[in-house]
Amino acid sequence: MSSSLKIDGLSVSYGPIPALRNVSIEVPEGGFVSVLGSNGAGKTTLVRTITGVLYLQKGKVTSGSITRDGQDMTKLKTRKIVTGGVAQVPEGRMLFPQLTVEENLRCGAASRRDLAGINDTLSEVFDLFPQLPPLQNQLAGLLSGGEQQMVAVGRALMAKPSLLVCDELSLGLAPLIVRDLFLLLDRINKEGVAVLAIEQNARIALQHSTYAYALEVGEIVLEGPSDELRENQEVQDLYMGGGGDSREAYAAIRREVNR
Amino acid sequence: MDILASTFFDWGVNLQLLVSGLALGAIYAVVALGFVLVEKSTAVLNLAVGEFLMLGSYFGVAFFMERKTNIFIGTLVITLVMALFGLAIHYGIMRPMVGQGFFAIVLATIGIATVIRAVVQMWFGPLEKGNLTALPTGTIEVAGTSIRWVDIIILLVVLGSVGAFLVFYARTRTGLHMRAVASNIEAAAGVGIDPDRAYAITWAMAIGIAGLGGVMLGHFTPSVNPALAAIGLRAFPAAAIGGFTSVGGSIIGGLIVGVIEQLAGGHFGTKWREPVAFGILILVLIFKPTGLFGQKDLERV
Ligand SMILES: Nc1ncnc2c1ncn2[C@@H]1O[C@H](COP(=O)(O)OP(=O)(O)O)[C@@H](O)[C@H]1O
Ligand SMILES: [Mg+2]
Repeated sequence: MSSSLKIDGLSVSYGPIPALRNVSIEVPEGGFVSVLGSNGAGKTTLVRTITGVLYLQKGKVTSGSITRDGQDMTKLKTRKIVTGGVAQVPEGRMLFPQLTVEENLRCGAASRRDLAGINDTLSEVFDLFPQLPPLQNQLAGLLSGGEQQMVAVGRALMAKPSLLVCDELSLGLAPLIVRDLFLLLDRINKEGVAVLAIEQNARIALQHSTYAYALEVGEIVLEGPSDELRENQEVQDLYMGGGGDSREAYAAIRREVNR
Repeated sequence: MDILASTFFDWGVNLQLLVSGLALGAIYAVVALGFVLVEKSTAVLNLAVGEFLMLGSYFGVAFFMERKTNIFIGTLVITLVMALFGLAIHYGIMRPMVGQGFFAIVLATIGIATVIRAVVQMWFGPLEKGNLTALPTGTIEVAGTSIRWVDIIILLVVLGSVGAFLVFYARTRTGLHMRAVASNIEAAAGVGIDPDRAYAITWAMAIGIAGLGGVMLGHFTPSVNPALAAIGLRAFPAAAIGGFTSVGGSIIGGLIVGVIEQLAGGHFGTKWREPVAFGILILVLIFKPTGLFGQKDLERV
């Protein structure tokens, strides 16, 4: 199967501090893949690298590559990456609080050249999130967390992506809202958009993805089909509040992997 | 008090002061607009605003006094040249300094100010020039009082340009992208907006509009001289009234400062103008630091 995104042996540092080491991840075309990882694992660094905004944090790719359809995009500018079909829902939503909901959404189409098509996509996004049209002219900073996350997803969709990268969609949201958002990701995925869901909330990520990776302290420590990982005791201990010290569980995973 | 007895309730004088205050305030408003725009988008505190304004006035001397250029063409050229100057500042100074501390960049703007002052003195000499007279110089009778045409024209030109800018900023795609960068640079970069390009446009517009303000100031003031740079610093009280973040607020702020200053100067003597203007700055900073129209912090999460 051809791949929507192939990350190969990627290492990233912020100055002298390494944040990712030899990370390899593949998202098949139209697939739904998740990357699990606890705080500081390197999840956001991974997203920044894929979407080309690492430079804003003075991060550097020290080795490895990111390719789409065999085309290298490791050094591309974000604009090119987005035009190429990769859109992100950043961690903490990162809306433009002083802009209206509609303006936020329109910013998602910043890299598009088919200006005429933007209004159509806007109506599609409004169809997908019926809660948003009444809030169209509200300032985004005044919305609830769940509404903001919808705007963030909608904004990414305004780029008409073929790959959607979500950084901790579930962060700070009530479980029901998280469930709805992931159901929506399923819908988007069914329409042919590949999804890379990067999550601390392993339970929901494993429920919706077909394949998953576990990222800890900058390295992939485990990978496999999501339903297998869901049954994995270490994964349960580490990410699903199965009790016990997470450091210990992490050590257990390392032993498992290195065996 | 004889002050009260003389002019305080003379409505003719008050009307004159109001109109000239609005004209002066409009000049403050464009400078404040440029200052706030740069500060908001690029997080650079541009302390050279006054010098850019003065430079615009001196360009006015070169074009309208020394060469008798047509006012429309001359003003357009000056605005464009100053906009190019803004681009040069972005690409030549600010962009290479990205990542340096706040103070380093503020000091760089002070350096720019000093260089402009020096170059202007070398070029035009230290003596003051007369005022510019390319705009109509006569007066018009309104309600029994004569109002200067220049004041009216300055007010209209500035309000027209500021209005055009606001429409651009609020309604166009590029304006939207500029606002997005000002709002959250990482998010803007993440959707594929080029922050660098937005910064470049911001600098070009801010300095271009200061050039326009300079041409207007050269017509307003009795003489063009290096001290005009101090006038540009009135952008600070104007911007403070807008809470240093509100583009619209700083425009209204400019008008308020101009009118209060002219009224104070007209009734109590010109030595009161500066203390009153900066008294407003201090009062606003103490009692309403978010500005009279400043936005509340919208970041909820
Ligand atoms: N801008 C930055 N500058 C320096 N170090 C950073 C920066 N962002 C993240 N890091 C470091 O990189 C590591 C991974 O962080 P991050 O990618 O944010 O992890 P996660 O998103 O999984 O919580 C952490 O050790 C963090 O301290
Ligand atoms: Mg993170």
